[in-house]
Amino acid sequence: MLRISLMAAALFGLNMFAGAAAQATEVKQVFDFYCAQCHGTDGKGGGVNVTKDIATTPRDFTNKVDMAKRTDDDIRTVIKGGGPSISKSALMPPWGKTISDADVELLVTYIRAFAK
Amino acid sequence: MRRLAVSAFLGVAFLAMAASPAFAAGDAVFKDKNCSSCHYTTGPAQEKSIADQLAKKGPELWYAGSKFKKTWLLAWLQDPKPIRPMKYNSITAKNGGDHPKLSAVDAAGVTDFLMGLTSADVEAGLITPKYKPKAKLIFNKKMPCLGCHKSPDKKGNVSGGLSGPSLVGASKRLNPDWIYAYLSKTTTFKPYRDMPDFASYLSESKMKLLAAYVANFK
Repeated sequence: MLRISLMAAALFGLNMFAGAAAQATEVKQVFDFYCAQCHGTDGKGGGVNVTKDIATTPRDFTNKVDMAKRTDDDIRTVIKGGGPSISKSALMPPWGKTISDADVELLVTYIRAFAK
Repeated sequence: MRRLAVSAFLGVAFLAMAASPAFAAGDAVFKDKNCSSCHYTTGPAQEKSIADQLAKKGPELWYAGSKFKKTWLLAWLQDPKPIRPMKYNSITAKNGGDHPKLSAVDAAGVTDFLMGLTSADVEAGLITPKYKPKAKLIFNKKMPCLGCHKSPDKKGNVSGGLSGPSLVGASKRLNPDWIYAYLSKTTTFKPYRDMPDFASYLSESKMKLLAAYVANFK
């Protein structure tokens, strides 16, 4: 009986791991698809849209000092409502009607991880 | 009711077009030149996820006849200059400008075929190209359009980001009514794209203003 329980627990653990891995792959794809064009896949703010024509520099998510000043709610709000929603540049688009709430939550965690 | 009538009319028009020899011949050239290996031509939009979008090698063309201007399309197929600074679906690789060229005869056939692929979601006669300072303000300052799209100013100076298609020459390339339809019903044409759905952030009148502004780009 104990053996069956241990096996069940191991399988449950494997499922949890597989689920977390799938979610990590998914959120990376969401970040790379929507955010990386300006923030870069490495989160440093050097995406392909950062040209001499663009006056504003996208946020560097790896800057620990700067990111410590942003609450999760700031990040959530700016993703959904765009730069002006937190008095920042309109070059940050409003993604609220494009990215699902669930994916926004995953993005908040993913973005936070750049500064860890 | 009006929408139903318009859809029915367009359906009949499509069937008439699809039955025309020029459309059928163009379809044959399209298949013969292997264009369908990169572009799908049967609507509605087929993408169900970001992965579906990323799996595509080139833009969907099922509404090409509503999107493009015929004269531009005929010329471009014979001398295809890059429209996107970056390779399709890439934010790291530049567009190599390697789209196949077609002969004048083949280009004429493919143009006939593609111009027959229209969408009932593009209402004709709504947008007239026009420069308005208010629209320029929306494009450059109030909304993030400039961040991803290159565009010209009145003097012809070009500026903008690189991830989206360049809008330089939009007046020759794009149907003004399609620009408005794309802004107002984005997901109908592209369920997954790296451009926000602006319909909830811009009023109908501002989207029309913006469409008219983009449609005037030289």
